[in-house]
Amino acid sequence: MGFPVYWMVTTSFKNRQDVLSTEPTILPRSFTIENYQNAFSREGFYTSLRNSLIVVLITVAISLFLATFASVAIARTKFTGKRSFISALLIVQMLPLSALIIPLFLLLTRLQLTNTIGGLALTYVAFILPFTIWTLRGFLANIPTDIEEAALVDGCTRVQAYRHVLLPLMAPGLVATAIFAFIQAWNEFLLAYIIMQSQENLTLPVWLAGFTTRTGTDWGPLMAASTVTAIPVVIFFSLIQKRIATGVTAGAVKG
Amino acid sequence: MSSATKFRLGPKKNLWPYLLITPALAVILLILGFPVFRLITLSFQQFGLAEIVSGIPTWVGFENFQALLKDPEFWTVLRRTFIFTFAMVAASIVIGAWLAHLMLRMNPILRWLLNTTLILVWAIPALVGISIWKWMFSFEFSIITSTINRLGFDFAQRNWFTNTFSGFSIIGGVVVWGAIPFITISIYAALTQVPKELLEAAAIDGANSRQIFRSVILPILLPIYVILISLSIIWDFQVFTQIWVLLDNRPASEYYTMAIYAFEKSFGLSEYGMGAAIALLMIFSLLGVTWFYIKKMVQIGDGNA
Repeated sequence: MGFPVYWMVTTSFKNRQDVLSTEPTILPRSFTIENYQNAFSREGFYTSLRNSLIVVLITVAISLFLATFASVAIARTKFTGKRSFISALLIVQMLPLSALIIPLFLLLTRLQLTNTIGGLALTYVAFILPFTIWTLRGFLANIPTDIEEAALVDGCTRVQAYRHVLLPLMAPGLVATAIFAFIQAWNEFLLAYIIMQSQENLTLPVWLAGFTTRTGTDWGPLMAASTVTAIPVVIFFSLIQKRIATGVTAGAVKG
Repeated sequence: MSSATKFRLGPKKNLWPYLLITPALAVILLILGFPVFRLITLSFQQFGLAEIVSGIPTWVGFENFQALLKDPEFWTVLRRTFIFTFAMVAASIVIGAWLAHLMLRMNPILRWLLNTTLILVWAIPALVGISIWKWMFSFEFSIITSTINRLGFDFAQRNWFTNTFSGFSIIGGVVVWGAIPFITISIYAALTQVPKELLEAAAIDGANSRQIFRSVILPILLPIYVILISLSIIWDFQVFTQIWVLLDNRPASEYYTMAIYAFEKSFGLSEYGMGAAIALLMIFSLLGVTWFYIKKMVQIGDGNA
């Protein structure tokens, strides 16, 4: 499971000769940071890092915000057209991206949203939303309605019951969903590649793809840059991992 | 159910739910509505380079679809896609579930290690993950081949992709490897949500661990499995980048799956109408396979499961 990760990290610290050895060994024989120096000094690293961060944060914030509302509607209310809405959410995920790219690009051109951070983020939100709504719904379904009812009985308004009772209980679900949205957006390649064309608008995965050219792949620096790209996700996760593990719901139900 | 009804918001004509879903629906419709509409119209047109230049499409009715259904290659590709999808879904769900149950019983340090590994794998951009695998199995610098050779076998420099079975196994390996973190973490999260009181009560009542699993854990986990399986089918059916990159952007026709086939027809042969028709048939076959699950998922979402 972890071997490819191990291989990426160790390769990133190997010197050129070892990287391109026809008889590679599992334990590294050399140690150098020149791959990292090479990767950082390449054109566009800092701009694409910044772009990626902005796009991802906008995407996560908006999609989580919208998904929270929609998931409450699905999990806690009944309304005409609910089944159709749910079916639509599921069917949207069956659309093959590779076939949608061209009409999507035409649409964004018409809206003058190509090559803009906003356009990319909006597209990401549209693609990520169905899944985030669905995931949050699942977490909501596992939260007993009794607690909200108690709040209502105690004189809370509906909105208060949602905000002060349901929302804190949703926290682990929100966190897990945020991680998912973050990773999806952070790693997405195809849409970013098509939508963001100018050099100053690249995101990290598109920038990473630049390591492979017609003449071959620059493995050492690519592995170094990939390691660096993976780090924010790992940090992001380790910061909030505890909240998932402790399971806020269990505690609340017991209390 | 009765408690949910009590909590329902006010009398019948209620705008509240619609207000809640409108923003999300608006974004989805705005960005995906037109492309889907265009994909459908495109499938009824002959749309190639000539039509792009002139800007005037030729309407051909169902001709694209008829041509495809008569083409044996279409059926071969469809069958291959189904088999490949089934194998990948089965492998990723079984391994994911096994790891999740293992995690529940692990000592905290090991669990932390496994968790971190899963997150690392998940965190690696798909493109990079594929590149790593491609390199691990590359013709010249493969750590896998050289390790096998060092163990005493003689594979020399081996091209793993000349044989479609080993080729598809590697492609499947990349897909499953990438899918496991999400599946494991979802199942694990669901497992930790099973109320301890229920497990304790069952144990006090004398249930053994298999009975507890079947009567307590499984019913709670079932919705998660339905969801994970259907999502996996949807995702694995559409696998594109893995095949594309591992086979150097020019997969041989033995490696065509529906997604690659549609893409090749569109962008390789510039038959965009045909490509759109394949994409639509692909969506329909996917709907066909996942129909049962979709119905179940809609039921789950509707609160009637």
